[in-house]
Amino acid sequence: MATARPWLLLAPALAVLAVLLLWPLARVVLISFQDYGLREIVSGRSNYIGLANYAEVFADPALWTVVLPNTVGFAVAAVGGTVILGTLVALLLASLDRLWRTIVSSAVMVAWAMPAVTGTYVWIWIFDADRGIVSQFLQGTGLLDEPHNWFTDRWSFYAVVLVNIIHHGFPFVAITVLAGLLGVSKEMLEAATVDGAGAVRRFFSITFPTLRPVFAVVVILSTIWDFKVFAQIYLQPGGSGSNRSVFNLGVWSYVESFAQNRYGFGSAIAVLLTVLLLAISVVYVRTLFKEEK
Amino acid sequence: MKAPSAPSAPSVPDAVRIPARRPRSRRARVTLAWKAVAVAALLLFTLFPTYWMISSAFDGRATGGAQSLFPAEPTLENFSYVLSEAGFGTFLRNSAIVAVSTVVLSGILALFAAVAVARFRFRFRTGILMLILIIQMVPLEALVIPLFIQVRDLQLLNSFLGLIIVYVAFSLPFAIWMLRGFVAAVPVELEEAAYIDGASWGRMFWSVLLPLVAPGLVATSVFAFIIAWNEFIFALTFMDSPATYTVAVGLQQFFGENSNEWGYVMAGSTLITLPVMIFFILVQRRLSGGLVSGAVKG
Amino acid sequence: MRKLKRSMAVTAVAALALTACGNGGGSDAEGETLSVWIMEGTNPDAESFFKGVKSEFKEETGATLDVQFVQWAEAHDKFVTSIAGNTTPDVAETGSTWTAEFAEAGALAPLDEQIEKAGLKDDLVEGLVEAGTLEDSLYGMPWYAGVRSVVYRKDIFEKHGLTPPTSWDGLREAGLALKEAEPDMTPFAVPGDSAYLAYPFIWGAGAELAEQEGDTWSSGLDSPEAREGVKFYTDLAVKDGLSSAGATTWNEKDVLDNFVKGNLSMATMGSWAMPAILEQNPDLEGKIGAFPIPGPESGYSPSFLGGSHLSVFEGSKKQELAWKFVEMMTTGETAAEWAEQTNYFPGQASLLEEAAKSDDPLVKPFATQMVEAGTSVPVAPGWGAVEAKKTVPAMIQSILSGDKGVDQATEDAATEIEELLNGK
Repeated sequence: MATARPWLLLAPALAVLAVLLLWPLARVVLISFQDYGLREIVSGRSNYIGLANYAEVFADPALWTVVLPNTVGFAVAAVGGTVILGTLVALLLASLDRLWRTIVSSAVMVAWAMPAVTGTYVWIWIFDADRGIVSQFLQGTGLLDEPHNWFTDRWSFYAVVLVNIIHHGFPFVAITVLAGLLGVSKEMLEAATVDGAGAVRRFFSITFPTLRPVFAVVVILSTIWDFKVFAQIYLQPGGSGSNRSVFNLGVWSYVESFAQNRYGFGSAIAVLLTVLLLAISVVYVRTLFKEEK
Repeated sequence: MKAPSAPSAPSVPDAVRIPARRPRSRRARVTLAWKAVAVAALLLFTLFPTYWMISSAFDGRATGGAQSLFPAEPTLENFSYVLSEAGFGTFLRNSAIVAVSTVVLSGILALFAAVAVARFRFRFRTGILMLILIIQMVPLEALVIPLFIQVRDLQLLNSFLGLIIVYVAFSLPFAIWMLRGFVAAVPVELEEAAYIDGASWGRMFWSVLLPLVAPGLVATSVFAFIIAWNEFIFALTFMDSPATYTVAVGLQQFFGENSNEWGYVMAGSTLITLPVMIFFILVQRRLSGGLVSGAVKG
Repeated sequence: MRKLKRSMAVTAVAALALTACGNGGGSDAEGETLSVWIMEGTNPDAESFFKGVKSEFKEETGATLDVQFVQWAEAHDKFVTSIAGNTTPDVAETGSTWTAEFAEAGALAPLDEQIEKAGLKDDLVEGLVEAGTLEDSLYGMPWYAGVRSVVYRKDIFEKHGLTPPTSWDGLREAGLALKEAEPDMTPFAVPGDSAYLAYPFIWGAGAELAEQEGDTWSSGLDSPEAREGVKFYTDLAVKDGLSSAGATTWNEKDVLDNFVKGNLSMATMGSWAMPAILEQNPDLEGKIGAFPIPGPESGYSPSFLGGSHLSVFEGSKKQELAWKFVEMMTTGETAAEWAEQTNYFPGQASLLEEAAKSDDPLVKPFATQMVEAGTSVPVAPGWGAVEAKKTVPAMIQSILSGDKGVDQATEDAATEIEELLNGK
């Protein structure tokens, strides 16, 4: 009975996940070993070609010079940005009284609730080269002589994406960490205050250890999402293929494969991305469990 | 109880700190000012794009994106079109059904699973936790076709249930991982005390565990709600008639092949954002409920 | 298993078609439902248009029409998933650049026999027939078509005594004059994310995007002619400053948005954009005009002729009924009415001729462009991949942003096109 209980509790969730995601995921892996196009989709036949798709992915110089550096570099910046800002906001919220906490957290929620597509277009308007308010402000103050297109350069392109992603992503971190913060023992914090620990010290010696599981979830999930960023890049001017220097894994796989009905190749990229993320998560999870014991 | 914990606050020696009751010490004023600045900056950063969206939604000339900070031609026409002719009334109802069901279902399933992984040691525990995570890692584009075939095989195309279980599956990994932390933080002594009082496992779960993990449930339900509310690739491909479309799909109709109807896009987006806010305000009170769990832990 | 089911279905369809032919047709489709997917947004009043079509179809065949509007943004995904899941409709509107792609995969039914029987074979618009043909069979019935020409602000031109240019130099001079006279407006948009707006200058210079010699394709993008055309086009922005910094990353929708806002004096746009412009900014009523894209010295530069087909899915069990619907939509009054409401041109040649006689100043220049200088992209199975990969926009954008020179950019693009068309 005691050994059965955890499995009984897990069963419904596992059943949903297995049927709806694990099996389709297995299909993705199978497709990645095939030359799978529209023709195969129509006929339902399989067409195995071994590792050819993977060989093609690795042989493409763009993977190493553009796609991977963009993906990894951006993910590091975005995870750092969202987690740090989200945590700071959560700490701020926890220190506010009830009324202000409700007001500010509702405002934070707006940023999360706004559809990503809409948010992306609004940021595009804000950074519009000819008439965006950023351009106008910079020209008005003399910092910029003539209109500058922020979307042609790899760095400024990703800077705009970063602002967009942080804006849309930090509320998740803030609300989650806030939920955790409210569970942190007030007595311990007060005791530490009496002992003369400053805010920073209190955070790292009491709050952070208690919240470790929460942070682990937030960091792992943010990493997963920020590696997979697609719409925010694809919709930005030049992001859908006309500017090759801004491809990340998601956009690259879409333009190179799904847009051309090369589902086998696209699936190979997807599997690759999954394996990469898996490796990163295993490291996270190992550290997490080791320190928990 | 308003111990200043704004991260920017400088640390000060004991002597200054201890008489914390002294009204409006210099330090308290500085902290307050810092907080005010932080709140203002935060509100500006979060609300500015939203303001842009809402202002264009009320603009009769919103084409091509608003050029000014204020509507050039204030009107409610965008909203009335979106709600009546574009069918957002139906879409909102559909989305509400899907989102609320997703929240409830994923909350229940995740809580059970979280108790299992947090309270019991058994074989494959880590393996299962990893497995749950992996599912989040696959890019969505790769999943569209396999998942569509799967849902077709389950005979759930064109039904809300098909959509709901897919969203439940998407929100479970986060929910399980999140709640695992919350369940683990509840002291075992509390549970044991309940057993000593003669409570069954079920009763203990209901009256001890559940209230203490409520803040975690709030965070996960907001997350599940937003997933179900904003997702559109599956909502579009699974459903065959506008009567079953969700708001996120409804929004797509304003992005045409040759031109975008910005006024409608922004009005639709505003309507999409509102219910999420309402949902959040309804559940966020539970966030403060978590203060209790802090009290028992010292 | 699925294979078996499928082949049985095909046999069944063939048998049905045979018996149907034996009966000589007939209107015994009472109680049947034909499912149809139509792209959303082409006709602002599609709802009431199809109301009429539905009752007419019911009257003629006894069958009910189930029309679903599909949004362009995700239409491709929707098609592919429904093909994968065997849940396709009977008939669908397919963009002319997609038809060959779906046909090659075996998803669409050939229509030659029906077209022949209906006597329509020589009455279809050539460009659309080319785009819908795969290995000598036509898989998409030409429905409507359109081309891009230069749209300009008539009021601004008149204010400064300018007339529509008739050569490339004339275009440039008009732009320079406008830059001087209207410093707040962008004289001519050179957008970095549109292939169709760049093609006319490549074709106009006398180059081909790609040509087949024997079994291999070679691209003319790196030919001296193409380079001259590309250089002229991009120099309008880079050298003469007639375009704007933002335009470097614009797509066609951005061009339209900016024209609507009154930021542009001239821009290449499709005939279908005219109703959208006037609907979104009624102040422009009577202030806009159009002229065919001029040739380098005289005449016209060719413009891409694109549009939509109506296609019947191979998996449909109602092939005969489906064709009846297709025929009704693409010929005669219904087709003419659709074209008029959408500011496109009908896909039936005789109707197009009729439409080309129009005196409407917002129709005539496009009709001239279409009849005199409308052309197709290379009819190669791999061309869809070139479009999907945005080879030509990438070329234009890299020149506009200063990343590459014309020679380097055209050479890279030509190489990429050849790789894609010849299957690496």
